[in-house]
Amino acid sequence: MKRLIAGFSVRQKLLAVVLLTTLTALLVAIAVMVGFDLRNYRQSLISDMTTQADLLGRTTAPALTFDDSRVAQENLELLRYRPQIRAAAIYNARGKIFASYSNQDGRELPKLPEADGTRIEGNNLVLFKRIVDNREILGTVYLRADYELYDRLVGYLGIAVIVAALAMLVAYVLSRQLQHIITNPLLAIAEVAREVTEKRTFSLRAPKLSKDEIGMLAESFNTMLAEIERATRDLEASNEVLGREIAEHNRAEREIFRLNAELEQRVKERTAQLEYTNAELEAFCYSVSHDLRAPLRAIDGFGQALMEDFPKDVPQEAQRYLSRIRSSTQRMGQLIEDLLNLSRVSRSSLERGDADVSELARQVVNDLQIRDPQRKVDISVWDGMRANADSRLLQAALENLIGNAWKFSAKTDKPRIEIGSLSDDGRAVFYVRDNGAGFDMAYANKLFGAFQRLHSGNEYQGTGIGLATVQRIVHRHGGRIWADAKPGKGAAFYFTLESGGVENASRDMAEART
Amino acid sequence: MVALTLRLCALVASLAAMASISALAQVDRTAAETRIKAAFLYKFSAFVEWPGRAFAGPESPFTIGVIGADELAADLEQIVKGRTVLERAVVVRRMRRGESVEGIQMLFIGQAEGARLTEILASAKGQSVLTVTESEDALSHGSMINFVSVDDKVRFDVALPQAERGALRISARLLAVARKVLTSS
Repeated sequence: MKRLIAGFSVRQKLLAVVLLTTLTALLVAIAVMVGFDLRNYRQSLISDMTTQADLLGRTTAPALTFDDSRVAQENLELLRYRPQIRAAAIYNARGKIFASYSNQDGRELPKLPEADGTRIEGNNLVLFKRIVDNREILGTVYLRADYELYDRLVGYLGIAVIVAALAMLVAYVLSRQLQHIITNPLLAIAEVAREVTEKRTFSLRAPKLSKDEIGMLAESFNTMLAEIERATRDLEASNEVLGREIAEHNRAEREIFRLNAELEQRVKERTAQLEYTNAELEAFCYSVSHDLRAPLRAIDGFGQALMEDFPKDVPQEAQRYLSRIRSSTQRMGQLIEDLLNLSRVSRSSLERGDADVSELARQVVNDLQIRDPQRKVDISVWDGMRANADSRLLQAALENLIGNAWKFSAKTDKPRIEIGSLSDDGRAVFYVRDNGAGFDMAYANKLFGAFQRLHSGNEYQGTGIGLATVQRIVHRHGGRIWADAKPGKGAAFYFTLESGGVENASRDMAEART
Repeated sequence: MVALTLRLCALVASLAAMASISALAQVDRTAAETRIKAAFLYKFSAFVEWPGRAFAGPESPFTIGVIGADELAADLEQIVKGRTVLERAVVVRRMRRGESVEGIQMLFIGQAEGARLTEILASAKGQSVLTVTESEDALSHGSMINFVSVDDKVRFDVALPQAERGALRISARLLAVARKVLTSS
């Protein structure tokens, strides 16, 4: 039903509402009126019949008293003026019919009177009434009258149908005539709304045809349209601005991209240049170092020959000078050797493999002990340390680190060196720790630079290239290296041999600086 | 009482129909008629209004005088036993000839009085006494109500002028069942 109604137009709905309301009001009014009338009819009929029976009883009382049924009969005959009364009878005190009257109805009278009262019997109202006179029951009046409830009801229904039809017709015509008062303004708005939706022309306005809620609706609708129009305009304007901004942005982005590409290109070129220069420099360094060794050997060799071949011709003083020349050349030879090593570390290719770190460390320790058998150093090397690294380079790094530890613990009472590893986030961190001279962390940033020495050559021998070499090896493996030390309390060097790259390198720098 | 009367009446009627007229039947019929008349007599009291002066005092009984009808008097005594009229006790007084009608409200003069009827009626004339007779033409002699027999049924005629002279008011309802009503006009 609701769905059906939902499909109606406003006109139809209005019409349906008006007609339905009219019909309902009409039916209710008719029902109430009919109900009231029928109730009235029944009551008045009963009261009328009761009065009639009373009257009859009273007029018949003397006839009963003096046993004169003729008079009673005469009294009853008067009822013919009331055709509504179909039958009547007077019963005497013994319950016998004393007088009777019938209006050609053919129905039999009750054989015996009943108790006082009225009742409806189909189309008849039946009434019994005792005749009491002088406190003596003389008999009973019986009345049967037409009870035209159904006839009346049918008549009313007929009237109701006619009235309803008439009223509906009038309501229909009237509402058809009048509904445009409501629907026209609404339809006008609907029309405008449809046009706006179809053509998207927000400049349209709904006509305000009434001053009621629909008028308000039209006004609100217009206000809304104006708002939408304004908002649309604003949106278009802001869209335009945005479009311009986006274009600008795109242009800037393209520019940046272009610059980036240019920069990259430049970096690439520079890097290539630098790599070339570096390689050249390294080659130069290598060849210079290499070539320097021959004259140096000659100087050393001839110095030695001079000292050995002419022990008496060379005065004592000259002998001392000669030995100093020789030690200097030897030191220079060592320097060149170290430089060559450093150069080699840089130039040689990295060949990773499964390296037994513990074994490499033990070999280094062994070599050191053979070279200097007098020294008693407590050295512990952890078992089972392995790494994915170039064994040759790793050995060089360990030689330097363990060599340093050996060297800088020379003046300690009970020298101790430990080579071990710990795990940092699943990555192996190897360390070489001693309880030697240590150093001030303030100079930590100088540790890994070539030719940087924290101790004087008099105290500890060295070229200052070892740690630079170690760092280069570690970096070539992609690892990082850092140190922890205190003057007189020993030093510890930590390094990793796995990924890390730039970040780790910068961390090295940061840690080195602190 | 009416029922009883009617039953008797019916009995009498049926008896009359069944048997031919016999002495016994005649006696029965007369006895029944007497009984009905006694009952009617008592019932008349309900349809008649007496003026206040008809009674000696507020306690005075309602007295029905009977002359020349002993059987009827006996029946009447039975009927009125324990009953009241106008909230007064009812007394049946058997009267002799020449007795004053003083203190009597209703007087029945039986057929047995015959010729003396006029005399007796004259004595009650102008008094507030309802005179009832059972003789032909009694009304013309000053009787107020006279029983007649119609089709073996007891009926009565009423003479209003006499009643008016006695300041008695007879109800129209009674008149409705009277066979004949004589008016002054």
